[in-house]
Amino acid sequence: MTAYIIRRLLLLPILLFGVTAMIFGMLQFLSPVERSALYVRDIPKNENVVEGIIRRYGFDQPMYVQYWRWLVGFQVADDEFRPGILQGNFGWSRVGTQPVIDLIKVRFPATLELALWSVFPIIGIGLWLGVQAAVHHNGWFDQAARVFSIVGTSFPTFVFGLLVLMIFYANLQWFPPGRVSDWVNQEIFSGSFRQITSLITVDALLNGRFDIFVDAIKHLVLPILTLSYINWATFLRVTRSSMLETLRQEYVTTARAKGLRESDVVNKHARPNALIPITTLAGFQVVGLLGGVVITETVFTYPGIGSAAAAAASQLDVVTTLGFALFNGFVLILANLMVDVIYGFIDPRVRIS
Amino acid sequence: MPDLLLDVQGLETQFKTPEGVIYAVNGVSFGLKEGETLGVVGESGCGKSVSMLSVLRLIPSPPGKITAGKAYYRGQDLLQMSNEEIRHVRGAQIAMIFQDPMTSLNPVLTVEYQLTEPLLLHLGMNKEQARARAIELLEMVGIPNAKERLADYPHQFSGGMRQRVMIAMALACNPQILIADEPTTALDVTIQAQIIELVKRLRDELGMTIIWITHDLGIVAGLAQRVIVMYGGFIIEEAFVKELYANPKHPYTIGLLGSLPRIDEQERQRLFSIDGLPPVLYNKPTACPFSPRCKWAMDRCWKENPVLETVGPDHRVACWADVKTGRAR
Repeated sequence: MTAYIIRRLLLLPILLFGVTAMIFGMLQFLSPVERSALYVRDIPKNENVVEGIIRRYGFDQPMYVQYWRWLVGFQVADDEFRPGILQGNFGWSRVGTQPVIDLIKVRFPATLELALWSVFPIIGIGLWLGVQAAVHHNGWFDQAARVFSIVGTSFPTFVFGLLVLMIFYANLQWFPPGRVSDWVNQEIFSGSFRQITSLITVDALLNGRFDIFVDAIKHLVLPILTLSYINWATFLRVTRSSMLETLRQEYVTTARAKGLRESDVVNKHARPNALIPITTLAGFQVVGLLGGVVITETVFTYPGIGSAAAAAASQLDVVTTLGFALFNGFVLILANLMVDVIYGFIDPRVRIS
Repeated sequence: MPDLLLDVQGLETQFKTPEGVIYAVNGVSFGLKEGETLGVVGESGCGKSVSMLSVLRLIPSPPGKITAGKAYYRGQDLLQMSNEEIRHVRGAQIAMIFQDPMTSLNPVLTVEYQLTEPLLLHLGMNKEQARARAIELLEMVGIPNAKERLADYPHQFSGGMRQRVMIAMALACNPQILIADEPTTALDVTIQAQIIELVKRLRDELGMTIIWITHDLGIVAGLAQRVIVMYGGFIIEEAFVKELYANPKHPYTIGLLGSLPRIDEQERQRLFSIDGLPPVLYNKPTACPFSPRCKWAMDRCWKENPVLETVGPDHRVACWADVKTGRAR
């Protein structure tokens, strides 16, 4: 297992080079005026200033020099060092009027929190539904799951989101949109609420503030429900077909021939094998969630990374958008690494080869 | 007959498919005496595996369904048992090994887990006892370094070794009957011989009763005492091995034996093959299923399906024709 993980880790630098090279390549399409946002806040006003910036920040240098400087930073002058991507300088967001990395630092925890809370219902319930549908192949449960899944696939996110918002917020007033209530925001700004992880639900528990935890959860329920329903549809279908395929395998007959209980045949012999293809899908879904879910975040005015990236893109703030893209690339690489490790855990043929 | 260990009567199994019902097994009856080895022979799709799987109710259902018949094991009808009751027969009393050892072991579970599972389940052993017994079993089937190999996964074993593991697993609870469903078909010839030798040795050591399903008449000759020949979901001939090879009565059996290569043959000839294709079983057969391929076929064969009749000592055959004279019997 260790050897397997080390092999995977050795691939990391290559992947990181690929992602950074691609984003850097895209940056080259920008004019020096736009690219200057990587290093300076203000939009250069005239030719002379632009000339000065080009020379000062080396936009006239060979490509590999520029790439290296962008990556690890460089000494602009004797007394001025400009950090690069690896030091966390993603440039200046002219739309957000703050460094891109600060925007990510504020927005990503919200997205991460939503993703973490959504993963459990999506995978837990989706897996259960899929396994049950396969075990009761063509029975009433299977048919009901099929309808459930078709509705989920064909429901546009914004329609479903607005629908639950209408029912649970407008009519019942159970679950409000946004991330937290105003009074919680005030507590956070006043400093009496210590932010340790930036995940409000976790911080609330660490601070022993159960009221804030409940408030945050209330705000999370509707986006989680929306994301779950849309992801369940796919998850259920893949789990079902993978499980059906597995249940046809000869080793399942072997397990039955040994006299095992049907529940053990399904849960101990069939399901672990069916999980192998499902892991890939789950990985993609988690990556999708971490990259920000633009529509869901917009419908519920949830301040995540997806809506921030969409706002930057719609205002043609390319440096910010590419900064988000780069960050997303890092997240994707990490998530893929985790999927690979999980693969190793569930499939001994991957682990021991 | 009270001395039968397993007594199957009029077994019928069908599969419902979108194209129609497949009549896979159409009234199969046979008995199994304690300690004997019964060979079940026939080509692919003749119902030999399905009949034996039906006895243990291992047919995937749906689409499969056992529509008629009884299967008495020690006086109890396996087909009438509750799911809970038959679980205590499977693995503990009647065990099975399958054709392809590459697919019949679970790839994500260790050999130890798979081997100890029936021991913990049926014999109520604790983990240590089961582990010790598992090592013993692996040694019994001739796997070197048994102790170290327990932690291994099936993909770390070769095909022949996996089949040995399967056999060890099947024998874990000292079952009365071992049903072997073409266990050597997927193996190299040399490995086949090893596996057959192993089964013979274990049979003699443990006094097991075996049902050996195969399409290989050569294997049956060296292993079984009695042979059942199946065709189109029917038993068409049943006899002791020597009698069957010396004196086959059914045209299909004759064809099968004729298509075997023989070392003692002087002239080099083309191997005999039976013309035509095995029957498609979408309709319940009302005539002899072999008649389209039979050179002895008479009018009656196209109208009426022959039943098994005794034609000699312990020799039964389902055929209207007497192959010696070519006329009706």
